[in-house]
Amino acid sequence: MGTAVVITSGKGGVGKTTSTANIGTALALLGKRVCLVDTDIGLRNLDVVMGLENRIIYDIVDVASGECRLEQALIRDKRFDHLAVLPASQTKDKSALDPDRVRDMVVQLKQQFDFVFIDCPAGIEHGFRVAVAGADEAIVVTTPETASVRDADRVIGLLEASHLKSPKLIINRIRPKMVKQGDMLDIDEVVQVLAIDLLGVIPDEETVIKNNIKGEPIVMNPDSRAAMAYRHIARRILGDSVPLMVLDEEPGLWSRVKRLIGGRR
Amino acid sequence: MAVKMIVQSKPEPKHPVAVKGTREGLVFLLDEHCAYEDLYRCLTDLLTGESAGLFNGPQVAVSVDYGDRALTPEQARALLGVFLARENFVVREWGGHTAARKALYGQRPSARAQNQFIHKGTVRAGQDLYFDGDVVVVGDVNPGGQVSAAGDIYVFGRLRGIAHAGIHGDERAIIAAAEFAPTQVRIASVVGWAPESAGERMSTFMEFAYLTADGMAVDKMQYAAVLRQAGPGTADGPGSAGASAGEGG
Ligand SMILES: Nc1ncnc2c1ncn2[C@@H]1O[C@H](COP(=O)(O)OP(=O)(O)OP(=O)(O)O)[C@@H](O)[C@H]1O
Ligand SMILES: [Mg+2]
Repeated sequence: MGTAVVITSGKGGVGKTTSTANIGTALALLGKRVCLVDTDIGLRNLDVVMGLENRIIYDIVDVASGECRLEQALIRDKRFDHLAVLPASQTKDKSALDPDRVRDMVVQLKQQFDFVFIDCPAGIEHGFRVAVAGADEAIVVTTPETASVRDADRVIGLLEASHLKSPKLIINRIRPKMVKQGDMLDIDEVVQVLAIDLLGVIPDEETVIKNNIKGEPIVMNPDSRAAMAYRHIARRILGDSVPLMVLDEEPGLWSRVKRLIGGRR
Repeated sequence: MAVKMIVQSKPEPKHPVAVKGTREGLVFLLDEHCAYEDLYRCLTDLLTGESAGLFNGPQVAVSVDYGDRALTPEQARALLGVFLARENFVVREWGGHTAARKALYGQRPSARAQNQFIHKGTVRAGQDLYFDGDVVVVGDVNPGGQVSAAGDIYVFGRLRGIAHAGIHGDERAIIAAAEFAPTQVRIASVVGWAPESAGERMSTFMEFAYLTADGMAVDKMQYAAVLRQAGPGTADGPGSAGASAGEGG
């Protein structure tokens, strides 16, 4: 029986889909059987980031409505056949999914995959409840900006009030220079406010955007630091203790980061 | 969807340890009726458990009042030991009818009846914690989070959201926080904002807001002055001897 993990944020555009695609692919690279589920109806893009867009025939709404079997809607990745995507529908109505149906699907998927990652839509309304329903664990993505942290805080409150008691945190799009100049919150501040375990920190990198457009998750890229950060996250999910990467030469940041990890492990 | 944490609707059993803040320091009121074991457990949980770190900081004067409870010498030693073990607590008064309690109740006769609700953990954005009595938050109140109380509000952590004390009009209610940087504070119907210098980590144990004839004032707990006053001769207490060495604020 696998584990289902919802990837959520509250605020839109902070990197949920990017994180879903990359953590999933990184775990597949480590030999795990992984399924990525896109619940962002109407704004489908997980399949684009995964480069599988042109192979969609059925989607999650078709499965929910009984149009096809779950197996028929799964798209196997062209690189690894133990990585699959259950795509969202671009055309159908958001209300087409309900929490119970999605929970059933996730339960079914957990029987054949080690990990099921659920890409959640932005917001805290219906789509959020649908995405969270079948999850055993939650990952909250935030960027180091006040508005994004505030929304993450809100979402963590909702998760803690549900069955997902200890969500983990990913801070995405860190730019060490801006942090140093005080234009961006630093990792410490974000973790202090949100007060949950930090799973990883992803640097802001142009190549992430390029790879997303190409439909090739960045984790495949050997020179990218963002890729390394995502591979580290995958290993932490498997229980390895991997120290946080040095994002910047400035010693202050690093020692703070070390202290932070040291205090939480 | 707003997460309303209206704790009033499911009244908690009275917590055996109530914490009060005054300008002079902290007052711990220990319930006189509950089983001694429960009292000891709650106290150690609060001061040495997960939440212990939140009481760290500069030295603060502490009064402990156990009411009419008859303590055996062993029990008294054990309870007092919990306070003495905390480096920054200067136990100034220990007894059944301390001056601190009298001061508290002299000031506010209603305080005796006031129940206290202790919330452990962060009050997050979108959450609204309300209690018909005093509220103690052992954790942070984040921006976008709100705490409302009929009585006082004590935040042993960072107050960055909204706090509204004396929500039914009690103008003697106070709002105290280890790190006082609220978005907004309100006492009864008077609204105030964070002082300019807010947000820096405590040079005092706690800062707190209260109403004066001229409006809202924010003050620091005056631990230093208290230390000077508190001689070893304090009534039936151990005084501050030993613990007060090195005031270092
Ligand atoms: N680490 C990064 N560095 C640079 N760009 C990034 C990074 N992470 C994400 N992006 C870019 O930010 C944009 C939003 O990312 P993504 O689609 O993953 O966010 P999302 O949270 O899924 O958004 P939505 O709420 O719309 O579903 C994309 O253009 C993506 O390429
Ligand atoms: Mg997305």
